[in-house]
Amino acid sequence: MISKNIPILGRSGRGIAGALLAALAMAACDAINPTQVNNPTTTDDDLAQATNPTAALLPGLRAQFARMINAYVVAAEVISDNYSIHGTGIVVDMDEPHEVTPDLVNSTGTSASGAYWNVQELRALADFVINEIAPEDAGAPPQLVAEAHYYRGMAYLTMGEVFSNVPHEEDGTPQAASVALGKAITDLQAATGFGPQANAALARAHRLLGDAGAAASAANAALSSDPMLLYTQGYDATSISNTPVAFLVLRALQEMQPLPRLDFLDPKYTDRESAIPIAKAEEMHLILAEIALASGNMADARTQLANAITLAGTRGMVSFDDIDERRNADLSLRPRSSEILIRADADSPYRAGLVLDRPSDGLMIPNVSGTSLDADSIAGLSDASELWHALWLARQEIMLLEGRRLADLGIKLPMMLREIDQNDNINEGDPGTLPIVPGYIPQNPRYAMDIYTPLALYDGVDPGVPLIETQVTIHVDMNKVLVANNASPFN
Amino acid sequence: MHFKRLVSGTLGAVAILFAVAVAPVQAQTGVIEGQVLDDASQRPLGNAQVLIAGTGIGQLTNSAGRFLLLNVPAGEHTVQVTLIGYAETEQTVTVTAGQTASIDIEMSSTAISLNEIVVTGVGAETTRRALGTSVEVLSAEDVELAPVQSVDQLLQGRVSGATVSATSAQPGTGALISFRGASSVFGAQTPVIYVDGVRVDNDHATAAGTGGEQSSALSDLLTSDIERIEVTKGGAASTLFGSDAATGVIQIFTKKGTPGAPRITARVERGIEVPELWNIFDMGLIFPERVESGEIEETFLRDLYFKQGTTENYYVGVTGGTADVTYSVSGRLEDRTGTQPNDGSTNYNIRGGLQASLTDNFTLEFSGSYVRHNFARLYNGSAIADPLTTFEVGDALFFSGASTLHEALDIFLLPDITESVNRFIFSTGARWNIRDDLTAKLNVGADNRTNQQRRYEPIGFTPGEPTGELNRRDRSFTSVSMDAGATYGWESAGGTLGSQLTVGVQGFREEESIINAQGQEFALPGSFDFDDAATITAFESNAEVFNGGLYVDEQLSLWDKLYLGGGFRIDAGSSFGDNIDTELYPKATGSYILSEDLGIPFVDELKIRGAFGQTGKFPGAFLKDRTFSASSFRGQSAPRFANPGNLDLKPEKTSTVEAGIDAALWANRIGLNLTFYDARTTDALFQVPRQPVTGQGTQQENVGEIWNRGLEVALQVQVLNTQRLAWSVGGTFNYNENEVTDMGGVADFFVGSGKRVSEGRPIGAWWLTTPVDTNGDGLTDGSEREFNGTVPSPNKNGGINTTISVGNNLTISGLADWAGGHHVFDWGSVWATFNGIYRRELIRCGTHEGASEGCDYAFPVQYRTDGTARGRYSQSAARSAFLYDGDYFKIREVAVRYALPETIAGALNASRATVYANGRNLWIWSRNMLIDGELSGTSNGGGLELGSESSITLSPNRIFRLGVEVVF
Repeated sequence: MISKNIPILGRSGRGIAGALLAALAMAACDAINPTQVNNPTTTDDDLAQATNPTAALLPGLRAQFARMINAYVVAAEVISDNYSIHGTGIVVDMDEPHEVTPDLVNSTGTSASGAYWNVQELRALADFVINEIAPEDAGAPPQLVAEAHYYRGMAYLTMGEVFSNVPHEEDGTPQAASVALGKAITDLQAATGFGPQANAALARAHRLLGDAGAAASAANAALSSDPMLLYTQGYDATSISNTPVAFLVLRALQEMQPLPRLDFLDPKYTDRESAIPIAKAEEMHLILAEIALASGNMADARTQLANAITLAGTRGMVSFDDIDERRNADLSLRPRSSEILIRADADSPYRAGLVLDRPSDGLMIPNVSGTSLDADSIAGLSDASELWHALWLARQEIMLLEGRRLADLGIKLPMMLREIDQNDNINEGDPGTLPIVPGYIPQNPRYAMDIYTPLALYDGVDPGVPLIETQVTIHVDMNKVLVANNASPFN
Repeated sequence: MHFKRLVSGTLGAVAILFAVAVAPVQAQTGVIEGQVLDDASQRPLGNAQVLIAGTGIGQLTNSAGRFLLLNVPAGEHTVQVTLIGYAETEQTVTVTAGQTASIDIEMSSTAISLNEIVVTGVGAETTRRALGTSVEVLSAEDVELAPVQSVDQLLQGRVSGATVSATSAQPGTGALISFRGASSVFGAQTPVIYVDGVRVDNDHATAAGTGGEQSSALSDLLTSDIERIEVTKGGAASTLFGSDAATGVIQIFTKKGTPGAPRITARVERGIEVPELWNIFDMGLIFPERVESGEIEETFLRDLYFKQGTTENYYVGVTGGTADVTYSVSGRLEDRTGTQPNDGSTNYNIRGGLQASLTDNFTLEFSGSYVRHNFARLYNGSAIADPLTTFEVGDALFFSGASTLHEALDIFLLPDITESVNRFIFSTGARWNIRDDLTAKLNVGADNRTNQQRRYEPIGFTPGEPTGELNRRDRSFTSVSMDAGATYGWESAGGTLGSQLTVGVQGFREEESIINAQGQEFALPGSFDFDDAATITAFESNAEVFNGGLYVDEQLSLWDKLYLGGGFRIDAGSSFGDNIDTELYPKATGSYILSEDLGIPFVDELKIRGAFGQTGKFPGAFLKDRTFSASSFRGQSAPRFANPGNLDLKPEKTSTVEAGIDAALWANRIGLNLTFYDARTTDALFQVPRQPVTGQGTQQENVGEIWNRGLEVALQVQVLNTQRLAWSVGGTFNYNENEVTDMGGVADFFVGSGKRVSEGRPIGAWWLTTPVDTNGDGLTDGSEREFNGTVPSPNKNGGINTTISVGNNLTISGLADWAGGHHVFDWGSVWATFNGIYRRELIRCGTHEGASEGCDYAFPVQYRTDGTARGRYSQSAARSAFLYDGDYFKIREVAVRYALPETIAGALNASRATVYANGRNLWIWSRNMLIDGELSGTSNGGGLELGSESSITLSPNRIFRLGVEVVF
C-alpha cells in the first residue's frame, strides 16, 4: 500500500521509503515511546504505595536528628567560650556572638551555620510523619509514633534552647522560646514510651522554663529509670558522620581549638562514628543540684553536684593518637604542654593538669564526661557563690561538646535569613531576627571569651620549638560572670 | 623534544605515507584542464571546488589554481566553480574524445556571501539574502587552516558575539562558550550543538572536578572533516529549536565526500608544548628562607615541576565517489604529553560519511564517528591537593606534612588521576524530492558518550589520614534525535513572488546516568582496586528528558530582494509541570537588499534585516515533581524531603529583537556585518527557597526576568589584492549589557562564590566583603559585603585576524583575541594570606611594607575606631582586595603554510603537498599580574558558570607544531 502512494520512487526507493515510514509509525507506538521518562526518586505517587510508611520514614527522622545534633553542637561550642575558630571551615564571625547574624546562619548544611535549618527540617519531617502519615497508617506501632514525638520534641526543645523566636509553621509569626519549650514538653510527654531519654529531655525543657518542680520530677524519673542513664546519638562514617570530629581532628587546620583550661577534655569525639551524648544522668544530677542551690539547700546541692562528678569519673576514656599541633589561625602555637599552668582569670589561682602534651600518641580523653573538679573538694564548699561557680564549671566540663554552654551563657541565635526573606509575616527587626546576647557577655576586645595571655608561649612556630612561658591567664572566667549575674533559670 | 628530532620524525613519517601512495586513475575519454584566477589580481586561487555539472566529476584546485578533470564524456559541459569569498562562477566548455580542453576561469571576490546557503533556523536550505537574522558560518577552509583540535577552540575569536573562555592547560577540559550574555541563572550557557542533525553532549562538567577544572564533552568534539559550521546565537534564528535554544545553536555538518577518484589526504604533525609561566612566581618569592638556606633553588618549580611537552598528530583520510555515491573516511591519532607531571592525553578518532543518490530524487546520508580519549592530569586550582597552588601560596609543607619542599613535591605528585572517554556519534538522513517543488527529509541519530574517571590517592598522600582513597565516577550519556519535515516551494510567473513553506517535527531524548564510588583505607601500597578498600560507598544519579515539537516556517520573497518570514514552534517536554501542556515560540523576520534599488557610492551590496523571535530553555529533569530522597544511615535507608515540586513549571522564554546590516563596500574590498539585539528572558527559572520552617529546600520556579542587549560587529578588509600578494585583515567585536530586571520576589542569591544575583544588576555581579569606614574618620575600620560595580563575565570581547598570501604557495595567517570589562577573583592569594603572604602587594610593591610606603596595591589596613592601625584586614573581611581587572589580549594563533611546487608534489605522485608550521597561545597581555583573565576556574559542577575565579592555574600552553599534508 505504501509503495502505491509513492509512484515516483523506483523499486529500491519504494522499499526504503516504506521502511522509513514504518520506522516513523513505530516511533509513535508506546513500545518505544521516547516521551516516557521515569523519575528515579520517590514521588508522592510512589509514597502512597508504601505498605508501612511510618516505619519507612522513621529512619529519616533518626538521620535528621543526627544532622541536627551535629549542626547545633558545633554552633553552640564555637559561639560560646568553649571553642575558638582557627581555619577556613567555619566562618570566623561565628566565634563572636555579637556578630552572629541571620546571614551567618543561612545554611542548609550540617556545619555550624546550619543549626536553624536542621532543627526546622526535623520538626517539619516529624510533623509530616505524625500529622499526615501515621494517622492513615493503621499498622504504625505506638513505639514508632512515640519515637516520632521524641524527635519533634527534641526539635522544639532545641529551638527553645538555642533560638529566641522562630516560626513553627509556614507563614507563621515567630514564637517565643517558651512556646517552643511548651510544645517540646507536650511531645516529650507523648514520647516517654520511647525511653528514659524523654524524661531527661523533659527535665532540660522544664529547667529552661525555670519550672523547678517539674524539672526535678522529670530528672528524678529519668534517674529512677536508669541511674547510669546515657543515651547517645551514634554516627556513620560513610554517610552522616560526626561533624565536630571534622573540625576537631580530621581537617588539616583542626579549626576548633578549645579554651586552654578545657584542653584536657579535647577532643571528646575522635572518629567519624563517635557518639554524641544526648541525655545522661550527670545532667539530671546537675539540674537537681541547681534547683537545690536556687532554693538555698546547700547540702542537697553539694550531694547532687558530687553525684554528677563521681558519675562522670566512672565514664569511659578513649586512647587517642593526636596529631593536633594546637595552632592559632596565624599558625602560632597555643598551649600544648603539660608544663603549662592555667588560671581562669587574673584573680584565680594557677592550676596544673589542664593542658596535655600534644601532639602525642596514647592520650587518654573522656569520651562521655570529664571534669577537673573532684567530689571531695565539693564537700568543702560552703559559700553559695563557690558552689554556683562549681556548678557552672561542672556543666561546662561534663557537658562539653554537647551544646549546652550557649544556653548557659544566655545567648540566643537569630533565625536563618532565608526564613526572614521568604515569610511575609517576618520582617527584619522582628523578634528572632537578631541575636540575643546578655549584657554581661564581654564584647571588647573581639572574641573576648576566647582569648588568653601571653600569646607567644613558644620560641617560634616550628615543630619542636621550646616552651618559653609556662603560665597562662584566660582573659575572662565566664563561670564567674554567670555567678555574678544569677544566670540560672531557677533564679 | 629537540627541534632536530621533531623535523626528522615528521619527515620520516611522511616518507612512509608516500610509499603507500595510490597512483591516479588514467584518463579514458576527454580531459579538461585549466586554472582558476582572481579576476581583479589574476592571482591563482587554490582550494576552489571545480565540478562538471550533472556528472559528479570534480576536483579541488591546487595551490597554482590548476585543475585536471579526467574521463569527461565528450560533448558540451558546464564547469561550476565555488570558493568561499567568491561569487559562484560557471563556464561552458566542449570536450572532444581523446583531446584536452583548456579553460581559465576568473572569479569575483565577494565581501559578503549573500548567496551562501544555510539551513539553521529556517528548517530548509535558504540563501543568506533571505535571512532576517544573523547566522555565522565557518567553512571547511576556516576549519582546516585553524591550528586547533576541538570545536570550542575553533570558535574562539572567529565568531562575533561568542564569548569563549578556556579553563586551563590540562587535557580533557573545554572552553566555556556563551552567546549574547547570560540569559539564565540555572544550568550552563553553552549553546546546544548538533552534529549532522544529532543533538550531542555539550556538558562542560562530565566528571568530578580536579580542583578548578572539569572534564568537558566539548574536548572530544574534534575538528576532523568538518564541511561547515553554522552558528545562531538565539532569537529568531534559533526559534525552530524551541525550548532548547535560548543559549543558541551550533550546527556542525561533516564531509560526505566529493565525486571523483579516491583522494587520499595524509597529514603528519609534530610539535612541542611550552608552559606559559607569566604568572608563576616560583619559590624565591614564596619560600625565600629555604632558598637562602640552600635547600632549594629559587627556580624550584621551573627546574623540577614544569617541563616541555610534546604533541604528535597523524591523520589519514580518503574521499571520492561517483555521481551517485560519495564517501569520506578518515582516522586520526593525537598524542600529547603535557607541561606538568602526570599530564598527557591520547586521542583516537575514526569517522566516515556517505551520501548515496538511490534515485534521481532520493538521497540517503550517513555519518558516524568514534572517539576514544584517554588522559591523565593532576589537581590544579584547588587549595589543598594541588601542587602548583600549594607551592605558590606557601602551603606545600603544611598540607603535605613534609619537612622539605622536595619531599612535599613527591607527595603532591602521588595522586593518579586518569579518565577515558568513548564516544560514538552517528547520523542517518534521507532526502526525497517528491516533486520539483516539494521536498521531504528525515534525520535520525544518536550520541553516546561514556567516560570513566579514576582518582587514586595512594597511601601516604593525605596527612592525618594516610590510608589511601580511590574515587571513581562513571557517566553515560545518550541522546537520540529525530527531525522530519517537508518543504514546499512556489514561485509566481516571472519570479516576482516566491514562497517556501517548511513544516516539520523535531525532538530529542536525553539520558544521563552517573555512578560515583569511593573506596577508603587500603592496607598495602599498590592497591588500585575497590575490592581492596576497607569501606566502599557508591552514589548514583539518573536523569531522562524528552523535548520535542512541531515547527512551521514560511519565507516569502518579493522581487528577489524583499524577504518576509514567519513561523513558530509548539513544544512539549517531559520536564514541564503537569499544568503545562505546550509552549509556543513565534518568530517574524524581514530583510531587504537595499543596494539593488539605491545606487550608493562605494556600496556593492547592502542588506538590512530585522527579526523578532522567541526561544526557550526547559527546566531541569524531574524538578516538577515533589520527591523524597533517601540516603544510607547506620544501615537503614533514611528518607527526607527532596524537591518540593511545581505543577506550573515551564521553560523560561527569551524574546529577542534584532536588527542589522550586511554590506559589501568599496569594490567588495570591505565586508561588514553589524547586529544589534535586545533580548528579554521572562519566566526565568530561579531556585526559589521555600521557608525553612517547611523543611523543604528550593524549587525551580518561573519568576525572574533577565535582560540582555548588545552589539555584534564583524569586519573584513581586503587590504591588498595583487597577483603576487594578497593581504586581508578582519575583526570581530562584541558588546553586551546584562541585567536582572525582576527577581520575582526572591531574595538575592549567589551563583558561585561572591557572585550575586540581584535586581538591577548583571547576573553574578561581584558582591564581596569590603573594608568600610564606619565612624567617618576617613579610615577603614569595618567590613561590609558590597557591590563594587564589577562583574565576572567580560562585557566586551573580540578577535583580530589577518591573512597574507605571497605568490601561489605561501600563506601566513594570524589570530588574536581579547576580552575586557570583567574582574577576576584570586583564590590563591586568599590562601597565601594564611602564610602571611600578600601576593599582589609583594609582587607589585616589591615588599610587604607596601601599605606604609603608600603603594596602591598594598593590602588594606584595618584601623580601630580611635584611629590607630590594627594591621591588615583578615582575608575574609577584605575579599574585594583579591579582585583584579581581568582585561587580556592574546595572540592566539600564527600559522604559515607553504604549498610545495607542483613539480615536487608531482614527483611524489601527489596532487598537492603542503608543509606548515603554526603556533598557538603565543603571547599574553594581562592588566593584572596574577590571574589569567580568560581562565574560568570552573567549579560549579553543571550549573551556571560565569568563570573568572581561579587559584594558581596555568594558562593554556604555548604550542608549536610543524606538519606536512599530502594529497594523493
